[in-house]
Amino acid sequence: MADTDRKDRAEYEVPLGIVHSALLEPFRTRLFVDDETVVDAEITYDSAHRGIERIMEGMPVQKGLIITERICGICSHIHLWNGTRMVEQGLGIEVPQRAHHIRVIGNELERIHSHLLFLGHAFEILGHETFSMRCFMLREPVQNILFFLSGNRVHYTISVIGGIRPRADIDKEKRRTLLGMLNSLEEGCKNFANRALKDSLIVSRIKEIGYLSKDDAVKYGALGPNLRASGVCEDVRTRVSEYSNFDFDIIVYDGGAVLDRVACRVFEVLESIKIIRQALETLPDEEPMNVDFEIGEMGFSTSYNEAARGEIYDSCALDESGRIKNYINRTPSMSSISAMEVSCIGDHLTDASLIIASCDPCLTCTNRITVVDENKGREYVLGPDEIRSMTRRRRI
Amino acid sequence: MMLKETSRKNAVHIMLVYTGGCNGCDIEVVNAVLSPFYDLEQYKVMLTWNPREADILAVTGPVTKKIAPALKEIYDAIPEPKLVAAIGACATVGGPYANLGGDLGSSDQIIGGVEKVIPVDAKLPGCPPRPEDILQVVASVIPLLAEKR
Repeated sequence: MADTDRKDRAEYEVPLGIVHSALLEPFRTRLFVDDETVVDAEITYDSAHRGIERIMEGMPVQKGLIITERICGICSHIHLWNGTRMVEQGLGIEVPQRAHHIRVIGNELERIHSHLLFLGHAFEILGHETFSMRCFMLREPVQNILFFLSGNRVHYTISVIGGIRPRADIDKEKRRTLLGMLNSLEEGCKNFANRALKDSLIVSRIKEIGYLSKDDAVKYGALGPNLRASGVCEDVRTRVSEYSNFDFDIIVYDGGAVLDRVACRVFEVLESIKIIRQALETLPDEEPMNVDFEIGEMGFSTSYNEAARGEIYDSCALDESGRIKNYINRTPSMSSISAMEVSCIGDHLTDASLIIASCDPCLTCTNRITVVDENKGREYVLGPDEIRSMTRRRRI
Repeated sequence: MMLKETSRKNAVHIMLVYTGGCNGCDIEVVNAVLSPFYDLEQYKVMLTWNPREADILAVTGPVTKKIAPALKEIYDAIPEPKLVAAIGACATVGGPYANLGGDLGSSDQIIGGVEKVIPVDAKLPGCPPRPEDILQVVASVIPLLAEKR
């Protein structure tokens, strides 16, 4: 990364808010520009550190795992599922097939709402309010489905060790309603996919910016849809045994541009609906919970799974009384940050906030963007409003 | 007086500040105000990102030490009369991070509820609160704003 502490540079900084209307979390992006082309980027994020892994140290495992759900308000189910899965594998606890199906349903619903949220934000940054509002409108039924399934719109707490929470079980009546809700959701998503990806205005605006090559994507550790949009066919779901019963396609795009990342997510939504429908139709008729287990000492256990943004990793050990030791959680955005920085390079300054948003960072937002002009040797900070109006005014 | 009251009632601006929570409450607030489903904008309540323009400061998440000075600065930048709404379990009492450290003492990272940093007028518990509740808390706070002058 570029030398940020050069002595010969006068620095001007305009302090602006921590909040960005597009991506809600606080992080700071510094873009180094030559004229108006980005030559280097640097993302700093540390304002939201809460020390969750430290809190969980020494907690009973059932209690500690609930806290993993509070890591993220977008992908809350996958954190809990992956944590439970890790403990179940480590202790050799059998889980009924029905519980696996319901957990998969939870994960795929979460993927849908996460991707729709991403699309809403991306189109908002692009300045296309209509599409943005359509995405938010599409997302609301998904939240309602999750609320209907589990009783909460954001933190669903579907998995518990040994199975699922009884409230999240799906009886016949619930299954019929869910399938009906799913049909209308699929229709809405298909209409939106057709409309958005055939819109010549949108496509010409995003098709050649934010290029992330296949080699760079692998080298800088991009994960999930960002990696698949750069032409790498990699999905952890293919290796997760819970998914082996379901038939779905992995969406891979070769372009590596913003358009590919958007299109990849649009079609992943449709694949997720396919998985949910299969899971609902083949739901086995059995008890969803296995209570016949004992929690005791467990060696170091790990688990990988595919969250909405890519691979997620959890690991921990338990002591004799079932208390957590050394919990480690690695979320996909942690790995994708460098790829975001790289994909900004070589593009126009006005596209940078869109490119970073197109990588779907799940940590915090471009609260302020510092622009460092390499030739003139000055540094200034742009607020969210300025950046957004620049992005919207950009001529193609 | 009348003009001021009328104009204030007809253009309430909410500024949303994220202070280190999990995103759940933020998205629910944005959902309640911005998204076309709940659409608080129809009651002339707008989301803003400029403290100078704001009337209500909505804070979500437990306040981390890193972000506390920024939160204070934002609070000071909002012109009087102003109200602060703490939204979600973390912002009201600290949520799962309230007893962080327990017997060992305070946390290195988290201060706790918003109250410990800036004065709070309205509290909305829930993990996360539903958009309907957010609509209600905003509706109940607007008269306070008119009284405060």
